[in-house]
Amino acid sequence: MGALGRFFKDINRNKAMLIMVLPATLWFIFFSYLPMAGMVIAFKEYRYSRDGFLASIIESKWVGLQNFKFLFSTNDAYIITRNTVVYNIFFIVIGLVLAVAMAIILAELANKRLAKVYQTGMFLPYFLSWVIVGYFVFSFLSLDRGVVNQITGWFGIDPINWYSDPTYWPIIIVVVFLWKSVGYNSVIYLAAIMGIDKSLYEAAMIDGANKWQQIRNITIPMLTPLITILTLLAIGKIFYADFGLFYQVPRDSGTLYSVTNVIDTYVYRGLKSTGEIGMSTAAGLYQSLIGFILVITSNGIVRKFNKDNALF
Amino acid sequence: MSKKKRSLTTALLLMLAMSLVLSACGGGKSQSSEGTAEKPVELIWYTIGTPQKDVDKVMAEVSKYTAEKIGVAVKMKMIDWGDYSQKLQVMTASGEPVDIMFTSSWAFDYVQNARKGAFMQVDDLLKEHGQDIIKTLDPAFLEGSKVDGHNYGIPANKELPAQEVWRFNKQYLDKYNLDMNSVTTLESLEPLLKTIKEKEPNIYPFALDKNQMPYVPYDYVIEKLPMAVKLDTQDYKVVNILETPEMIQALKTMHKYYKAGYIPTEAATLDSMTDVQSSGRWFADRATTQPFATNLWSASYGYPVVSTPASQATIYNWSVMGSMQAISANSKYPEKAMEFLNLLNTDPVLRNMVDSGIEGVHYKKVSDNVMENLDESKNYDMPTFSLGNVMLTYLNTTDPANKWEEFKKFNDTGVPAPLLGFNFDTSKVTTEIASVQNVREEYWAALMTGTVDPDTYLARANEKFKAAGLDKIMAEAQRQVDEWRAANK
Repeated sequence: MGALGRFFKDINRNKAMLIMVLPATLWFIFFSYLPMAGMVIAFKEYRYSRDGFLASIIESKWVGLQNFKFLFSTNDAYIITRNTVVYNIFFIVIGLVLAVAMAIILAELANKRLAKVYQTGMFLPYFLSWVIVGYFVFSFLSLDRGVVNQITGWFGIDPINWYSDPTYWPIIIVVVFLWKSVGYNSVIYLAAIMGIDKSLYEAAMIDGANKWQQIRNITIPMLTPLITILTLLAIGKIFYADFGLFYQVPRDSGTLYSVTNVIDTYVYRGLKSTGEIGMSTAAGLYQSLIGFILVITSNGIVRKFNKDNALF
Repeated sequence: MSKKKRSLTTALLLMLAMSLVLSACGGGKSQSSEGTAEKPVELIWYTIGTPQKDVDKVMAEVSKYTAEKIGVAVKMKMIDWGDYSQKLQVMTASGEPVDIMFTSSWAFDYVQNARKGAFMQVDDLLKEHGQDIIKTLDPAFLEGSKVDGHNYGIPANKELPAQEVWRFNKQYLDKYNLDMNSVTTLESLEPLLKTIKEKEPNIYPFALDKNQMPYVPYDYVIEKLPMAVKLDTQDYKVVNILETPEMIQALKTMHKYYKAGYIPTEAATLDSMTDVQSSGRWFADRATTQPFATNLWSASYGYPVVSTPASQATIYNWSVMGSMQAISANSKYPEKAMEFLNLLNTDPVLRNMVDSGIEGVHYKKVSDNVMENLDESKNYDMPTFSLGNVMLTYLNTTDPANKWEEFKKFNDTGVPAPLLGFNFDTSKVTTEIASVQNVREEYWAALMTGTVDPDTYLARANEKFKAAGLDKIMAEAQRQVDEWRAANK
């Protein structure tokens, strides 16, 4: 009784807080924890049963690790893992540098009205869907009508068939991603810069520090906690690729797969073309597992250096 | 304390999960004692095609008719062309209630899904409740759509063989005085394409999208996987289509055309040519024909289209299974569903109601079996071939009176392909097939549309296909083909 009574008393005391987290908790239970049971499909040969979905899962026969074999039978597993991780590393590193730089520049601009215009202009692409961005890119890279090929044509350079030549795509993907996301991230950093105590800068100026010294010794140290948290969160998602970026922007062109195929698109294509749910689940499980390991390790590393900045 | 809280949460969670499981299991099968004119059973019918505004209105009329005849009411749900396979895949996998569904060789794959258990096996149902279907259908349809010796769907009575044709936008043929009868092969198309490219820079000389591939005289073991048997084969040897001289030659020609600018530069990533066709900005393409197909094409595009044969009329597995209705494995009323399909395939009143809508609203009758669309028909424009026996449908005023006789003649001229009736059982090579399919996604469209140079890319593709296990699949296919031949001699 004592324990239960205390439990209810506890609930009563934290009522308001508990109600506040309830929606998110329910969301996680229904959309993240319950579906986790579906993991068993990865170890089954999924066949339909007339009694519905759960009966299908139960009645399908166990096949052990059979479903994982197709991932590793070719070097696909290597390619999609490499693409996912390496792109994300580039996104995180370059994205961070650019976003912080932009935020500092915007904060330092004397003309505040112009700064607002720049900020809005950079922020806008964030709201566009990847399908639309895909068409933007297409209008640049189309073989016969694209802007790029027409301009290079004036200089007598042969048109490049962008959508069937994988050479340039690593750069295109990174540039398109940055164009879309840097504005949003720089606004977050800009907000943090605005929150820095102005008296710090005044004191620095009295001591004769120039702009560069102020940035290096005040702004960046004050931003470090935010940078660490955002970067950690990004590393947690390093195994999740942005589906739209890798599917819509290269227009699902087969010849580009060697540089655009990531885990998410691979799972999607596998399910679409073969309809083998077991194999798609297997690929998804592989993704979650490695992602989990990465989050734990990177968090552990951060804890080692600075306990306060770690997530848990 | 926090530990206790956690364990309670776990218990709650478990209870929640259990109740979900139980409620899902509890929804058992209800017995079908109903099914009379007063109390009809409702059949849920999924079909392919762009959803039409008046579907519910028409189905209310259809239900009145079928309730009286067989005690059935019909609820039809249409899913658009591009989404059908994927949506049905998810629906059957998750056990949504479905009674009847469209299936075929090209959308929501019939053989694959029959093997996975999506459809009910209908051998006995056909004999008990579908005798009229057996009487009406060309026997080749039911024979050719057997999977491992059983029927899982009712094919629509329509054209049996598939014949490829070169299609031309007639206005440009006439304008430049080009002779389409000179075109017999892919290569002989060149002079015509050249003229159009020079004289009409704003239209596509050779319109094709990423789903097209050059015609070669081979019968594919599985659609769009590179293994096939030659049409005039004697030894039934399964070969890699990408290593056959015909395909290599065709791909070289396609690449030449691509470089010459005859093929849309984005062909390898284009999903469909619908926009180009409706705007008429194309000159030539290839399509599968049926008797009087040019009338259909011209009517639907709004400008004259003509065609000339590109291949023999051949009866393939995929042409036999071009349009079918299957009863879902989880249907509560399989007998009623079969009775409905029986009526749909034999009763002209029902068939035409489903096809053209309500008389006096969507169409009017001109004579006994000829009708004319009214304005309202734009709200109920159904794909005729996907809804059962097409030979029961009323003729249009522009159709020749002997249309269905011509269909029967066309069916008689069809030559059976070597693998007609053979279905590859992929269960032993699922891993390899999944890998090979991934390789195919990577190279197929680029090669088939001529976007890349076959001299370099063919070798690369073949190498990857081999690494993915194509040889093993081919060996398994060969073994099954040999067994099948021995059993069917």
